[in-house]
Amino acid sequence: MKKRAISVESLNYAYPRNKKALENINIEVFEGEKVAIIGPNGAGKTTLFLHLNGTIKSPQKNVKIFGKSIGDMEIGARIREVGIVFADSDDQLFMPTVYDDIAFGPTNMGLSKEEVDKRVSYAIEKVGLKGLENRVPHHLSCGQKKKVVLATVIAMRPKILVLDEPTANLDPKSRADLIKIINELNRKEGVTIIIAMHDVNVLAELADRVYVLNRKIVANGSPREIFSDFTLLKANNLDAPDVFKLFKILSCLGYACENLPLSFDEAVNEVLNTIEREGIISLRASEQTHSAIKEIMNNYSGVWTEGYGKGN
Amino acid sequence: MVFPRIDAYSALKSPIHSFDPRAKIISFSILIFSFAFLNDLKAAAFALGFSLFLVLLSRLPLSFVLDRIKVPLVFFISILVIMAFTVEGAELFNLFGLSVSSEGVLLGTLIVLRALAALFLLLLMLGTCRFEAVLKALYMLKVPGVLVQMLMFSYRYIFVFIEEFLSMKNAMESKGFQLRGKSSYSLSILGNAVGVLLVKSYERGDRVYKAMISKGYTGNPKLFIKFNMKKSDYVLASLLISLAFCFHLYPVIL
Repeated sequence: MKKRAISVESLNYAYPRNKKALENINIEVFEGEKVAIIGPNGAGKTTLFLHLNGTIKSPQKNVKIFGKSIGDMEIGARIREVGIVFADSDDQLFMPTVYDDIAFGPTNMGLSKEEVDKRVSYAIEKVGLKGLENRVPHHLSCGQKKKVVLATVIAMRPKILVLDEPTANLDPKSRADLIKIINELNRKEGVTIIIAMHDVNVLAELADRVYVLNRKIVANGSPREIFSDFTLLKANNLDAPDVFKLFKILSCLGYACENLPLSFDEAVNEVLNTIEREGIISLRASEQTHSAIKEIMNNYSGVWTEGYGKGN
Repeated sequence: MVFPRIDAYSALKSPIHSFDPRAKIISFSILIFSFAFLNDLKAAAFALGFSLFLVLLSRLPLSFVLDRIKVPLVFFISILVIMAFTVEGAELFNLFGLSVSSEGVLLGTLIVLRALAALFLLLLMLGTCRFEAVLKALYMLKVPGVLVQMLMFSYRYIFVFIEEFLSMKNAMESKGFQLRGKSSYSLSILGNAVGVLLVKSYERGDRVYKAMISKGYTGNPKLFIKFNMKKSDYVLASLLISLAFCFHLYPVIL
Protein backbone atom coordinates (compact mmCIF):
# COMPACT_ATOMS: atom_id res chain seq x y z
CA MET A 1 0.00 0.00 0.00
CA LYS A 2 1.15 3.49 -0.81
CA LYS A 3 2.45 5.83 1.84
CA ARG A 4 0.16 8.46 3.26
CA ALA A 5 1.57 11.80 2.10
CA ILE A 6 -0.91 14.09 3.80
CA SER A 7 -3.38 13.33 6.50
CA VAL A 8 -5.56 15.97 8.03
CA GLU A 9 -7.82 14.89 10.86
CA SER A 10 -10.74 16.95 12.15
CA LEU A 11 -9.04 20.28 11.50
CA ASN A 12 -10.85 23.42 12.62
CA TYR A 13 -9.81 26.98 12.01
CA ALA A 14 -11.38 30.38 12.56
CA TYR A 15 -9.91 33.73 11.62
CA PRO A 16 -9.96 36.22 14.48
CA ARG A 17 -13.42 37.77 14.97
CA ASN A 18 -14.81 35.74 12.08
CA LYS A 19 -16.95 32.72 11.78
CA LYS A 20 -15.26 29.43 11.18
CA ALA A 21 -13.16 29.21 8.03
CA LEU A 22 -12.59 25.48 8.26
CA GLU A 23 -14.74 22.98 10.06
CA ASN A 24 -13.87 19.40 10.81
CA ILE A 25 -11.69 18.83 7.77
CA ASN A 26 -10.55 15.29 7.07
CA ILE A 27 -8.26 14.72 4.14
CA GLU A 28 -6.03 11.86 3.14
CA VAL A 29 -3.70 12.04 0.18
CA PHE A 30 -1.38 9.22 -0.83
CA GLU A 31 2.07 9.54 -2.27
CA GLY A 32 2.09 10.24 -6.01
CA GLU A 33 -1.59 11.12 -6.16
CA LYS A 34 -3.05 14.10 -7.96
CA VAL A 35 -5.85 15.57 -5.94
CA ALA A 36 -7.99 18.58 -6.76
CA ILE A 37 -9.82 20.64 -4.19
CA ILE A 38 -12.77 22.51 -5.63
CA GLY A 39 -15.30 24.72 -3.98
CA PRO A 40 -16.94 28.12 -4.21
CA ASN A 41 -15.05 31.37 -3.65
CA GLY A 42 -14.24 31.84 0.00
CA ALA A 43 -14.62 28.17 0.79
CA GLY A 44 -11.36 28.09 2.72
CA LYS A 45 -9.07 26.53 0.13
CA THR A 46 -6.22 28.96 0.69
CA THR A 47 -6.60 28.70 4.47
CA LEU A 48 -6.40 24.93 4.22
CA PHE A 49 -3.27 25.20 2.07
CA LEU A 50 -1.59 27.47 4.61
CA HIS A 51 -2.01 24.63 7.10
CA LEU A 52 -0.41 22.10 4.79
CA ASN A 53 3.05 23.64 4.99
CA GLY A 54 2.74 24.88 8.52
CA THR A 55 2.43 28.61 7.76
CA ILE A 56 -0.63 28.39 9.95
CA LYS A 57 0.00 25.89 12.73
CA SER A 58 -2.84 23.87 14.11
CA PRO A 59 -2.46 23.54 17.88
CA GLN A 60 -3.97 20.06 17.79
CA LYS A 61 -1.10 18.75 15.62
CA ASN A 62 -3.64 17.16 13.32
CA VAL A 63 -1.95 18.06 10.03
CA LYS A 64 0.53 15.33 9.29
CA ILE A 65 2.95 15.08 6.39
CA PHE A 66 4.31 11.57 5.89
CA GLY A 67 3.19 10.75 9.39
CA LYS A 68 4.87 13.70 11.10
CA SER A 69 3.07 16.74 12.46
CA ILE A 70 4.04 19.66 10.20
CA GLY A 71 3.82 22.19 13.03
CA ASP A 72 6.60 20.43 14.93
CA MET A 73 9.05 20.33 12.04
CA GLU A 74 11.98 22.68 11.59
CA ILE A 75 11.35 25.29 8.91
CA GLY A 76 14.09 23.78 6.72
CA ALA A 77 12.49 20.34 6.89
CA ARG A 78 9.03 21.73 6.27
CA ILE A 79 9.91 23.32 2.95
CA ARG A 80 11.57 20.10 1.80
CA GLU A 81 8.25 18.34 2.22
CA VAL A 82 5.66 20.82 0.96
CA GLY A 83 5.99 23.61 -1.59
CA ILE A 84 3.10 25.99 -2.18
CA VAL A 85 2.32 28.04 -5.25
CA PHE A 86 -0.10 30.77 -4.19
CA ALA A 87 -2.64 32.44 -6.43
CA ASP A 88 -1.03 35.87 -6.89
CA SER A 89 2.37 35.73 -8.60
CA ASP A 90 3.40 39.21 -7.51
CA ASP A 91 3.15 38.14 -3.89
CA GLN A 92 5.68 35.40 -4.45
CA LEU A 93 8.30 37.12 -6.56
CA PHE A 94 9.83 39.48 -4.08
CA MET A 95 13.53 39.37 -4.87
CA PRO A 96 15.44 41.67 -7.24
CA THR A 97 15.90 39.17 -10.08
CA VAL A 98 14.41 35.88 -11.28
CA TYR A 99 17.60 34.09 -10.24
CA ASP A 100 17.42 35.47 -6.70
CA ASP A 101 13.78 34.47 -6.43
CA ILE A 102 14.42 30.89 -7.49
CA ALA A 103 17.54 30.70 -5.30
CA PHE A 104 15.62 32.04 -2.28
CA GLY A 105 14.16 28.69 -1.11
CA PRO A 106 17.25 26.53 -1.73
CA THR A 107 19.44 29.13 0.04
CA ASN A 108 17.14 29.04 3.05
CA MET A 109 17.57 25.27 3.06
CA GLY A 110 21.24 25.92 3.73
CA LEU A 111 22.57 24.53 0.46
CA SER A 112 25.95 25.47 -0.97
CA LYS A 113 26.33 28.01 -3.78
CA GLU A 114 27.06 25.25 -6.33
CA GLU A 115 24.03 23.24 -5.31
CA VAL A 116 21.82 26.35 -5.38
CA ASP A 117 23.08 27.16 -8.88
CA LYS A 118 22.29 23.62 -9.97
CA ARG A 119 18.80 23.82 -8.50
CA VAL A 120 18.11 27.15 -10.17
CA SER A 121 19.11 25.95 -13.61
CA TYR A 122 17.20 22.70 -13.09
CA ALA A 123 14.05 24.56 -12.06
CA ILE A 124 14.23 27.20 -14.77
CA GLU A 125 14.78 24.51 -17.39
CA LYS A 126 11.77 22.57 -16.11
CA VAL A 127 9.45 25.54 -16.66
CA GLY A 128 11.07 26.36 -20.01
CA LEU A 129 12.31 29.84 -19.20
CA LYS A 130 16.04 29.37 -19.66
CA GLY A 131 17.80 32.68 -20.29
CA LEU A 132 15.50 34.78 -18.12
CA GLU A 133 17.62 34.40 -14.95
CA ASN A 134 18.71 38.02 -14.82
CA ARG A 135 15.35 39.55 -15.65
CA VAL A 136 13.54 41.71 -13.14
CA PRO A 137 10.23 40.14 -12.03
CA HIS A 138 8.09 43.19 -12.83
CA HIS A 139 9.15 43.01 -16.47
CA LEU A 140 7.72 39.54 -16.97
CA SER A 141 4.34 38.72 -18.48
CA CYS A 142 1.63 37.13 -16.36
CA GLY A 143 2.30 33.68 -17.79
CA GLN A 144 6.05 33.99 -17.31
CA LYS A 145 5.56 35.15 -13.72
CA LYS A 146 3.42 32.10 -12.98
CA LYS A 147 6.07 29.81 -14.42
CA VAL A 148 8.82 31.53 -12.43
CA VAL A 149 6.74 31.10 -9.28
CA LEU A 150 6.43 27.41 -10.06
CA ALA A 151 10.21 27.29 -10.59
CA THR A 152 10.84 28.94 -7.21
CA VAL A 153 8.98 26.05 -5.61
CA ILE A 154 10.37 23.31 -7.87
CA ALA A 155 13.89 24.44 -6.91
CA MET A 156 13.19 23.33 -3.34
CA ARG A 157 12.38 19.84 -4.70
CA PRO A 158 9.39 19.33 -2.42
CA LYS A 159 7.76 15.91 -2.25
CA ILE A 160 4.34 17.52 -2.22
CA LEU A 161 3.38 20.39 -4.47
CA VAL A 162 0.36 22.49 -3.53
CA LEU A 163 -1.03 24.84 -6.15
CA ASP A 164 -3.67 27.49 -5.55
CA GLU A 165 -5.50 28.41 -8.76
CA PRO A 166 -2.48 27.81 -11.01
CA THR A 167 -4.36 28.36 -14.27
CA ALA A 168 -6.30 31.50 -13.40
CA ASN A 169 -5.72 34.54 -15.64
CA LEU A 170 -3.47 32.70 -18.06
CA ASP A 171 -3.68 32.59 -21.83
CA PRO A 172 -4.49 29.15 -23.29
CA LYS A 173 -0.90 28.41 -24.30
CA SER A 174 0.53 29.27 -20.88
CA ARG A 175 -2.24 27.28 -19.27
CA ALA A 176 -1.47 24.22 -21.38
CA ASP A 177 2.27 24.64 -20.64
CA LEU A 178 1.63 24.80 -16.94
CA ILE A 179 -0.60 21.73 -16.93
CA LYS A 180 2.09 19.84 -18.83
CA ILE A 181 4.80 20.85 -16.36
CA ILE A 182 2.68 19.84 -13.38
CA ASN A 183 1.76 16.49 -14.90
CA GLU A 184 5.39 15.80 -15.78
CA LEU A 185 6.48 16.50 -12.22
CA ASN A 186 3.90 14.04 -11.02
CA ARG A 187 4.66 11.32 -13.56
CA LYS A 188 8.45 11.51 -13.79
CA GLU A 189 9.43 12.54 -10.29
CA GLY A 190 6.53 11.18 -8.30
CA VAL A 191 5.61 14.53 -6.78
CA THR A 192 2.28 14.45 -5.00
CA ILE A 193 0.05 17.20 -6.36
CA ILE A 194 -2.70 19.07 -4.60
CA ILE A 195 -4.45 21.68 -6.63
CA ALA A 196 -7.25 24.14 -6.10
CA MET A 197 -9.06 25.30 -9.18
CA HIS A 198 -12.29 26.62 -10.63
CA ASP A 199 -11.56 25.63 -14.20
CA VAL A 200 -13.55 22.38 -14.35
CA ASN A 201 -12.85 21.92 -18.05
CA VAL A 202 -9.20 21.09 -17.42
CA LEU A 203 -9.65 19.55 -14.00
CA ALA A 204 -9.77 15.98 -15.28
CA GLU A 205 -6.34 16.43 -16.86
CA LEU A 206 -4.89 17.45 -13.51
CA ALA A 207 -6.59 15.29 -10.92
CA ASP A 208 -7.37 11.66 -10.19
CA ARG A 209 -9.45 12.49 -7.18
CA VAL A 210 -11.51 15.48 -6.10
CA TYR A 211 -12.45 16.92 -2.75
CA VAL A 212 -15.30 19.40 -2.64
CA LEU A 213 -14.61 21.94 0.08
CA ASN A 214 -17.09 24.43 1.41
CA ARG A 215 -15.79 25.16 4.90
CA LYS A 216 -16.33 21.43 5.45
CA ILE A 217 -15.36 18.60 3.17
CA VAL A 218 -18.65 18.12 1.36
CA ALA A 219 -17.68 15.27 -0.94
CA ASN A 220 -14.76 13.16 -2.06
CA GLY A 221 -14.48 10.99 -5.14
CA SER A 222 -13.27 10.59 -8.69
CA PRO A 223 -13.93 13.53 -11.03
CA ARG A 224 -16.60 11.47 -12.79
CA GLU A 225 -18.41 10.71 -9.55
CA ILE A 226 -18.32 14.33 -8.46
CA PHE A 227 -19.48 15.75 -11.78
CA SER A 228 -22.31 13.25 -12.01
CA ASP A 229 -23.80 14.55 -8.77
CA PHE A 230 -25.55 17.69 -9.97
CA THR A 231 -27.22 18.49 -6.66
CA LEU A 232 -23.79 18.59 -5.05
CA LEU A 233 -22.45 20.85 -7.80
CA LYS A 234 -25.40 23.21 -7.60
CA ALA A 235 -25.24 23.49 -3.83
CA ASN A 236 -21.59 24.55 -4.03
CA ASN A 237 -21.67 26.98 -6.99
CA LEU A 238 -19.84 24.47 -9.15
CA ASP A 239 -20.30 23.19 -12.65
CA ALA A 240 -19.43 20.12 -14.70
CA PRO A 241 -17.09 20.26 -17.72
CA ASP A 242 -18.79 21.34 -20.96
CA VAL A 243 -17.77 18.13 -22.72
CA PHE A 244 -19.29 16.06 -19.94
CA LYS A 245 -22.58 17.92 -20.21
CA LEU A 246 -22.62 17.63 -23.98
CA PHE A 247 -22.18 13.86 -23.82
CA LYS A 248 -24.96 13.65 -21.27
CA ILE A 249 -27.19 15.29 -23.86
CA LEU A 250 -25.87 12.97 -26.57
CA SER A 251 -26.73 9.97 -24.46
CA CYS A 252 -30.34 11.20 -24.39
CA LEU A 253 -30.21 11.10 -28.17
CA GLY A 254 -29.23 7.48 -28.16
CA TYR A 255 -25.45 7.69 -28.08
CA ALA A 256 -24.36 4.85 -25.85
CA CYS A 257 -21.31 5.71 -23.81
CA GLU A 258 -20.08 3.85 -20.80
CA ASN A 259 -17.85 6.48 -19.27
CA LEU A 260 -18.82 10.03 -20.09
CA PRO A 261 -15.68 11.93 -21.14
CA LEU A 262 -14.49 14.75 -18.90
CA SER A 263 -12.06 16.53 -21.21
CA PHE A 264 -11.82 17.37 -24.88
CA ASP A 265 -9.14 14.72 -25.48
CA GLU A 266 -11.22 12.03 -23.86
CA ALA A 267 -14.19 13.08 -25.94
CA VAL A 268 -12.24 12.83 -29.18
CA ASN A 269 -11.01 9.37 -28.21
CA GLU A 270 -14.49 8.27 -27.29
CA VAL A 271 -16.00 9.38 -30.61
CA LEU A 272 -13.18 7.86 -32.66
CA ASN A 273 -13.46 4.55 -30.78
CA THR A 274 -17.18 4.38 -31.33
CA ILE A 275 -16.84 5.10 -35.04
CA GLU A 276 -14.19 2.39 -35.35
CA ARG A 277 -16.21 -0.13 -33.41
CA GLU A 278 -19.60 0.43 -35.00
CA GLY A 279 -18.80 2.22 -38.23
CA ILE A 280 -21.51 4.77 -37.62
CA ILE A 281 -22.76 7.13 -34.93
CA SER A 282 -26.48 7.53 -35.05
CA LEU A 283 -28.49 9.96 -33.03
CA ARG A 284 -32.26 9.91 -32.83
CA ALA A 285 -34.99 11.59 -30.92
CA SER A 286 -37.87 9.76 -29.30
CA GLU A 287 -40.87 11.02 -27.36
CA GLN A 288 -39.01 11.26 -24.12
CA THR A 289 -35.92 12.89 -25.58
CA HIS A 290 -36.98 16.49 -25.12
CA SER A 291 -38.05 16.12 -21.56
CA ALA A 292 -34.86 14.18 -20.79
CA ILE A 293 -32.71 16.89 -22.32
CA LYS A 294 -34.65 19.57 -20.52
CA GLU A 295 -34.09 17.78 -17.24
CA ILE A 296 -30.34 17.59 -17.82
CA MET A 297 -30.19 21.25 -18.79
CA ASN A 298 -32.15 22.06 -15.66
CA ASN A 299 -29.92 20.01 -13.46
CA TYR A 300 -26.62 21.30 -14.79
CA SER A 301 -27.02 24.81 -16.03
CA GLY A 302 -30.01 26.73 -14.85
CA VAL A 303 -29.05 29.73 -16.94
CA TRP A 304 -29.74 28.10 -20.29
CA THR A 305 -33.01 26.37 -19.65
CA GLU A 306 -35.29 29.32 -20.26
CA GLY A 307 -34.17 29.58 -23.85
CA TYR A 308 -34.20 25.89 -24.51
CA GLY A 309 -37.00 24.48 -26.59
CA LYS A 310 -38.59 27.81 -27.53
CA GLY A 311 -37.93 27.09 -31.18
CA ASN A 312 -39.96 23.92 -31.02
CA MET B 1 3.34 50.01 -19.03
CA VAL B 2 6.39 52.27 -19.00
CA PHE B 3 7.62 53.27 -15.55
CA PRO B 4 10.05 56.05 -14.67
CA ARG B 5 12.95 53.84 -13.70
CA ILE B 6 16.08 55.21 -12.09
CA ASP B 7 18.13 52.53 -13.85
CA ALA B 8 16.58 53.05 -17.29
CA TYR B 9 20.01 53.78 -18.79
CA SER B 10 22.01 51.22 -16.85
CA ALA B 11 22.82 49.28 -20.02
CA LEU B 12 24.97 52.06 -21.55
CA LYS B 13 28.72 51.63 -21.79
CA SER B 14 30.98 54.15 -20.08
CA PRO B 15 33.77 54.23 -17.50
CA ILE B 16 31.18 55.02 -14.83
CA HIS B 17 28.94 52.16 -15.95
CA SER B 18 31.71 49.60 -15.82
CA PHE B 19 32.86 50.79 -12.38
CA ASP B 20 32.28 48.03 -9.82
CA PRO B 21 29.05 48.81 -7.89
CA ARG B 22 30.67 48.37 -4.48
CA ALA B 23 33.62 50.60 -5.32
CA LYS B 24 31.21 53.07 -6.90
CA ILE B 25 29.04 53.27 -3.79
CA ILE B 26 32.00 53.73 -1.46
CA SER B 27 33.92 56.28 -3.50
CA PHE B 28 30.82 58.24 -4.55
CA SER B 29 29.53 58.34 -0.98
CA ILE B 30 32.83 59.69 0.26
CA LEU B 31 32.82 62.23 -2.54
CA ILE B 32 29.25 63.26 -1.72
CA PHE B 33 30.14 63.81 1.94
CA SER B 34 33.23 65.71 0.95
CA PHE B 35 31.21 68.01 -1.29
CA ALA B 36 28.52 68.46 1.33
CA PHE B 37 31.04 69.88 3.80
CA LEU B 38 32.72 72.35 1.47
CA ASN B 39 32.77 75.89 2.87
CA ASP B 40 34.32 77.75 0.01
CA LEU B 41 32.25 79.04 -2.89
CA LYS B 42 35.00 78.48 -5.45
CA ALA B 43 35.64 74.94 -4.26
CA ALA B 44 31.90 74.24 -4.40
CA ALA B 45 31.71 75.59 -7.94
CA PHE B 46 34.62 73.39 -8.89
CA ALA B 47 32.93 70.40 -7.23
CA LEU B 48 29.80 71.03 -9.27
CA GLY B 49 31.90 71.27 -12.39
CA PHE B 50 33.60 68.01 -11.53
CA SER B 51 30.35 66.13 -10.98
CA LEU B 52 29.00 67.56 -14.23
CA PHE B 53 32.13 66.26 -15.93
CA LEU B 54 31.41 62.80 -14.49
CA VAL B 55 27.81 63.03 -15.76
CA LEU B 56 29.11 63.81 -19.24
CA LEU B 57 31.55 60.94 -18.93
CA SER B 58 28.72 58.57 -18.07
CA ARG B 59 26.84 59.42 -21.31
CA LEU B 60 23.51 59.50 -19.50
CA PRO B 61 21.07 61.37 -21.78
CA LEU B 62 20.71 65.00 -20.75
CA SER B 63 16.90 64.78 -20.83
CA PHE B 64 17.02 61.94 -18.31
CA VAL B 65 19.35 63.87 -16.00
CA LEU B 66 17.29 67.07 -16.19
CA ASP B 67 14.08 65.15 -15.63
CA ARG B 68 15.52 63.60 -12.49
CA ILE B 69 17.00 66.85 -11.19
CA LYS B 70 14.13 69.27 -11.74
CA VAL B 71 12.06 68.46 -8.68
CA PRO B 72 14.89 68.73 -6.13
CA LEU B 73 16.02 71.87 -7.94
CA VAL B 74 12.79 73.58 -6.92
CA PHE B 75 13.67 72.87 -3.29
CA PHE B 76 17.20 74.16 -3.72
CA ILE B 77 16.03 77.41 -5.33
CA SER B 78 13.54 77.97 -2.53
CA ILE B 79 16.38 77.53 -0.02
CA LEU B 80 18.37 80.14 -1.91
CA VAL B 81 15.44 82.59 -1.73
CA ILE B 82 14.85 81.95 1.95
CA MET B 83 18.55 82.35 2.75
CA ALA B 84 18.77 85.60 0.81
CA PHE B 85 16.00 87.15 2.87
CA THR B 86 16.73 85.73 6.29
CA VAL B 87 20.51 85.76 6.81
CA GLU B 88 21.67 88.94 8.54
CA GLY B 89 24.39 90.97 6.84
CA ALA B 90 25.23 93.81 4.48
CA GLU B 91 22.20 94.84 2.48
CA LEU B 92 22.51 94.07 -1.22
CA PHE B 93 19.21 95.62 -2.27
CA ASN B 94 15.78 96.18 -0.88
CA LEU B 95 12.64 94.48 -2.17
CA PHE B 96 9.38 96.02 -0.91
CA GLY B 97 10.92 96.68 2.46
CA LEU B 98 12.56 93.28 2.73
CA SER B 99 16.32 93.46 2.64
CA VAL B 100 18.38 90.94 0.70
CA SER B 101 21.78 90.41 2.29
CA SER B 102 24.91 89.57 0.31
CA GLU B 103 25.90 87.03 2.96
CA GLY B 104 22.56 85.34 2.53
CA VAL B 105 22.92 85.16 -1.24
CA LEU B 106 26.44 83.77 -0.91
CA LEU B 107 25.44 81.20 1.68
CA GLY B 108 22.40 80.22 -0.39
CA THR B 109 24.51 79.84 -3.52
CA LEU B 110 27.00 77.71 -1.62
CA ILE B 111 24.25 75.42 -0.41
CA VAL B 112 22.73 75.14 -3.89
CA LEU B 113 26.10 74.38 -5.50
CA ARG B 114 26.98 71.75 -2.91
CA ALA B 115 23.56 70.13 -3.10
CA LEU B 116 23.56 70.05 -6.89
CA ALA B 117 27.01 68.50 -6.99
CA ALA B 118 25.97 65.84 -4.50
CA LEU B 119 22.73 65.23 -6.37
CA PHE B 120 24.52 64.64 -9.67
CA LEU B 121 26.80 62.15 -7.96
CA LEU B 122 23.86 60.36 -6.37
CA LEU B 123 22.15 60.17 -9.74
CA LEU B 124 25.31 58.69 -11.23
CA MET B 125 25.66 56.22 -8.41
CA LEU B 126 22.10 54.92 -8.84
CA GLY B 127 21.61 55.53 -12.55
CA THR B 128 24.61 53.78 -13.99
CA CYS B 129 23.98 50.24 -12.82
CA ARG B 130 20.92 48.08 -12.39
CA PHE B 131 19.16 48.79 -9.12
CA GLU B 132 19.52 45.23 -7.89
CA ALA B 133 23.30 45.60 -8.33
CA VAL B 134 23.15 48.54 -5.92
CA LEU B 135 21.15 46.42 -3.47
CA LYS B 136 23.60 43.56 -3.70
CA ALA B 137 26.53 45.92 -3.32
CA LEU B 138 24.92 47.36 -0.17
CA TYR B 139 24.37 43.82 1.10
CA MET B 140 28.01 42.96 0.46
CA LEU B 141 29.14 46.16 2.15
CA LYS B 142 27.42 44.85 5.29
CA VAL B 143 24.70 47.47 5.37
CA PRO B 144 22.17 46.15 7.95
CA GLY B 145 19.96 43.49 6.38
CA VAL B 146 16.76 45.19 7.48
CA LEU B 147 17.65 48.31 5.52
CA VAL B 148 18.63 46.37 2.40
CA GLN B 149 15.43 44.33 2.58
CA MET B 150 13.33 47.46 3.04
CA LEU B 151 14.94 48.99 -0.03
CA MET B 152 14.58 45.77 -1.93
CA PHE B 153 10.87 45.37 -1.22
CA SER B 154 10.17 49.05 -1.84
CA TYR B 155 11.79 48.81 -5.22
CA ARG B 156 10.10 45.53 -6.08
CA TYR B 157 6.59 46.60 -5.07
CA ILE B 158 6.52 50.25 -6.04
CA PHE B 159 5.81 49.17 -9.62
CA VAL B 160 3.07 46.83 -8.48
CA PHE B 161 1.48 49.71 -6.57
CA ILE B 162 1.74 52.06 -9.51
CA GLU B 163 0.06 49.43 -11.65
CA GLU B 164 -2.65 48.85 -9.06
CA PHE B 165 -3.31 52.54 -8.73
CA LEU B 166 -3.40 53.07 -12.49
CA SER B 167 -5.83 50.22 -12.99
CA MET B 168 -7.98 51.68 -10.22
CA LYS B 169 -7.79 55.06 -11.92
CA ASN B 170 -8.81 53.48 -15.21
CA ALA B 171 -11.74 51.79 -13.52
CA MET B 172 -12.79 55.09 -11.97
CA GLU B 173 -12.46 57.01 -15.20
CA SER B 174 -14.33 54.40 -17.18
CA LYS B 175 -17.22 55.13 -14.85
CA GLY B 176 -17.03 58.83 -15.58
CA PHE B 177 -14.81 60.09 -12.76
CA GLN B 178 -12.64 63.06 -13.57
CA LEU B 179 -9.63 63.96 -11.52
CA ARG B 180 -9.50 67.52 -12.81
CA GLY B 181 -12.38 68.90 -10.81
CA LYS B 182 -11.07 70.35 -7.56
CA SER B 183 -14.32 69.79 -5.75
CA SER B 184 -14.19 68.23 -2.33
CA TYR B 185 -16.22 65.37 -3.80
CA SER B 186 -13.55 64.30 -6.27
CA LEU B 187 -10.88 64.76 -3.62
CA SER B 188 -12.77 62.50 -1.24
CA ILE B 189 -13.06 59.88 -3.98
CA LEU B 190 -9.34 60.12 -4.54
CA GLY B 191 -8.85 59.79 -0.80
CA ASN B 192 -10.90 56.62 -0.84
CA ALA B 193 -8.80 55.22 -3.65
CA VAL B 194 -5.60 55.93 -1.76
CA GLY B 195 -7.14 54.34 1.32
CA VAL B 196 -8.03 51.22 -0.64
CA LEU B 197 -4.47 51.12 -1.95
CA LEU B 198 -3.20 51.29 1.63
CA VAL B 199 -5.41 48.40 2.73
CA LYS B 200 -4.43 46.43 -0.36
CA SER B 201 -0.75 46.98 0.32
CA TYR B 202 -1.19 45.90 3.93
CA GLU B 203 -2.88 42.71 2.83
CA ARG B 204 -0.32 42.13 0.11
CA GLY B 205 2.42 42.51 2.68
CA ASP B 206 0.77 39.78 4.68
CA ARG B 207 0.57 37.48 1.66
CA VAL B 208 4.17 38.18 0.64
CA TYR B 209 5.28 37.33 4.16
CA LYS B 210 3.37 34.05 4.04
CA ALA B 211 4.95 33.22 0.69
CA MET B 212 8.37 33.95 2.18
CA ILE B 213 7.70 31.81 5.23
CA SER B 214 6.62 28.96 2.99
CA LYS B 215 10.03 29.12 1.34
CA GLY B 216 11.85 28.99 4.63
CA TYR B 217 12.46 32.70 5.30
CA THR B 218 13.97 33.25 8.74
CA GLY B 219 14.90 36.93 8.59
CA ASN B 220 18.25 36.94 6.85
CA PRO B 221 18.05 36.16 3.18
CA LYS B 222 21.39 35.28 1.67
CA LEU B 223 22.25 36.69 -1.71
CA PHE B 224 24.76 35.13 -4.04
CA ILE B 225 26.67 37.75 -5.93
CA LYS B 226 29.03 37.71 -8.82
CA PHE B 227 31.06 40.92 -8.61
CA ASN B 228 34.77 41.03 -9.16
CA MET B 229 36.94 44.07 -8.70
CA LYS B 230 39.32 44.77 -11.55
CA LYS B 231 42.53 46.78 -11.38
CA SER B 232 40.82 49.73 -13.05
CA ASP B 233 38.17 49.73 -10.28
CA TYR B 234 40.85 50.09 -7.62
CA VAL B 235 42.54 52.88 -9.57
CA LEU B 236 39.34 54.83 -10.18
CA ALA B 237 38.14 54.36 -6.61
CA SER B 238 41.41 55.54 -5.06
CA LEU B 239 41.48 58.47 -7.49
CA LEU B 240 37.98 59.60 -6.53
CA ILE B 241 38.57 59.11 -2.81
CA SER B 242 41.84 61.03 -2.82
CA LEU B 243 40.10 63.77 -4.78
CA ALA B 244 37.44 63.88 -2.07
CA PHE B 245 40.18 64.50 0.50
CA CYS B 246 41.98 67.01 -1.72
CA PHE B 247 38.90 69.22 -1.76
CA HIS B 248 39.33 69.68 1.99
CA LEU B 249 43.10 69.55 2.24
CA TYR B 250 44.11 72.09 -0.38
CA PRO B 251 43.42 75.19 1.79
CA VAL B 252 45.69 73.65 4.41
CA ILE B 253 48.48 72.88 1.97
CA LEU B 254 48.36 76.11 -0.05
